[in-house]
Amino acid sequence: MEFPGIILDTSSISPLKKPDRGVLYDMLIVGGGAAAMSAAVYAARKVINFALITLDFGGLIKETSEIDNYLGFQNIQARDLIEKFEEHVKSFDIPINFGVPVIEVTKEDNIFNVLLEDRSKFSGHTVIFATGEHHRPLNIPGEREFLGKGVAYCATCDAPLFRDKKVVVAGGGNSAFITALDLMRVNAEVFLVNVITGWQADETVQRRVKQYEKVHFLDNHKILRIDGKDSVESVLIKKSSTGTEEKIQCDGVFIEVGLIPNSEPVKNLVKLNELDEVVVDCVGRTGIPGLYAAGDVTSVPYKQIVISAGDGAKAALSAYDFLIKNSIL
Amino acid sequence: MAIIPEKDRKKLTDIFKSLSNDVRVIFFTQEFECEHCKMTRNLLEEVAALSEKISLETYDFVKEAELAKKYGIDRIPATALLGDRDYGIRFYGVPAGYEFTSLIEDIMDISKRDAGLPEEILNELSKIDKPVHIQVLISPT
Repeated sequence: MEFPGIILDTSSISPLKKPDRGVLYDMLIVGGGAAAMSAAVYAARKVINFALITLDFGGLIKETSEIDNYLGFQNIQARDLIEKFEEHVKSFDIPINFGVPVIEVTKEDNIFNVLLEDRSKFSGHTVIFATGEHHRPLNIPGEREFLGKGVAYCATCDAPLFRDKKVVVAGGGNSAFITALDLMRVNAEVFLVNVITGWQADETVQRRVKQYEKVHFLDNHKILRIDGKDSVESVLIKKSSTGTEEKIQCDGVFIEVGLIPNSEPVKNLVKLNELDEVVVDCVGRTGIPGLYAAGDVTSVPYKQIVISAGDGAKAALSAYDFLIKNSIL
Repeated sequence: MAIIPEKDRKKLTDIFKSLSNDVRVIFFTQEFECEHCKMTRNLLEEVAALSEKISLETYDFVKEAELAKKYGIDRIPATALLGDRDYGIRFYGVPAGYEFTSLIEDIMDISKRDAGLPEEILNELSKIDKPVHIQVLISPT
């Protein structure tokens, strides 16, 4: 038997300079994905007194395996791209609070307070809120019951558990197709099930998946429920156009049907749209003076790493202008 | 061939420069090593070689049964991480995959003699006056 390999995630290991709870920062950046890290780089270059508060580094990028649409990298492992982002951010000796989720952002007398789950609190004149998104569930019977027993949301984490198995992938976008690619690498038989007719994934990814012999394409089908005894054994699907039901015997179900913004901490402070995204203008302003947002948590369409990185930079520059105009800097 | 890739070896060497106190890695295997015992031993030998602050002690689970009992170890491969006291940290099986990061995190925490918990939480924890059995089941997802 070969050694299974190691995963060294240094984000939680490297000694970090901690933010000071007694300091009123010029800026607090909340989040650790592309938008937040890009904002941090821009803020650092403006020599703003700021802190980064994040649960992790990479956000949802961590859950994909490879990226081939980030400018400058024709194909890069997600882990390597995150590492490059992280190295860039950490090169500035920024205070970083790592590993604790933010539960609420409040504003009182023109000062923002960022409250964390461990009851710590940081204060700032401005906040860049860039907390990203999390996976949308299907909300069908069996999904919650079989979570971790065949139901999964992260192919990078769990695809290796399905070597030579049969797996249903719910969704039709890039995430679903990348999941199919991850499953192809472990020789799984893949059933791609999309609720609408056709597929939304980029042509290039679709082409790669379509070359695989053991993939079945079931668009215009809805997954009704996930069944099994101790773990997933089958899913029941229904063809929307005819109403015909069909059972697919399978060992796993990967759910890639979209994302939900992590906007809960600011829901009482700022306007959210019908998708619970933070509404921002073209420079990341939220309508609350001093509060900016960037990345997947915002109303900006097309959730892409490159767009988040750009919007993070814009929000930092915009917040910098605010600090200057209000004579805080 | 080395188990830890060169890139990670360099990172670990840098990270281990911040080790402030000694860490004892106590590993239990047996004379006729199982496949996983051998893998774990090789991995731990590579980790220990990256810092003078990390010492590896390898024991035979059968011959050193008393010692194994002292550390509450009843199966192998078993790895116990100790500082100037036993914090109760044990790894059973090969600390591969994501467990490797946990192993390194634990080495760092033990060296600091501090798990980095905020004072408020430590105050709350200090109020616990009877044994509490906690089992945390996790998944990388």
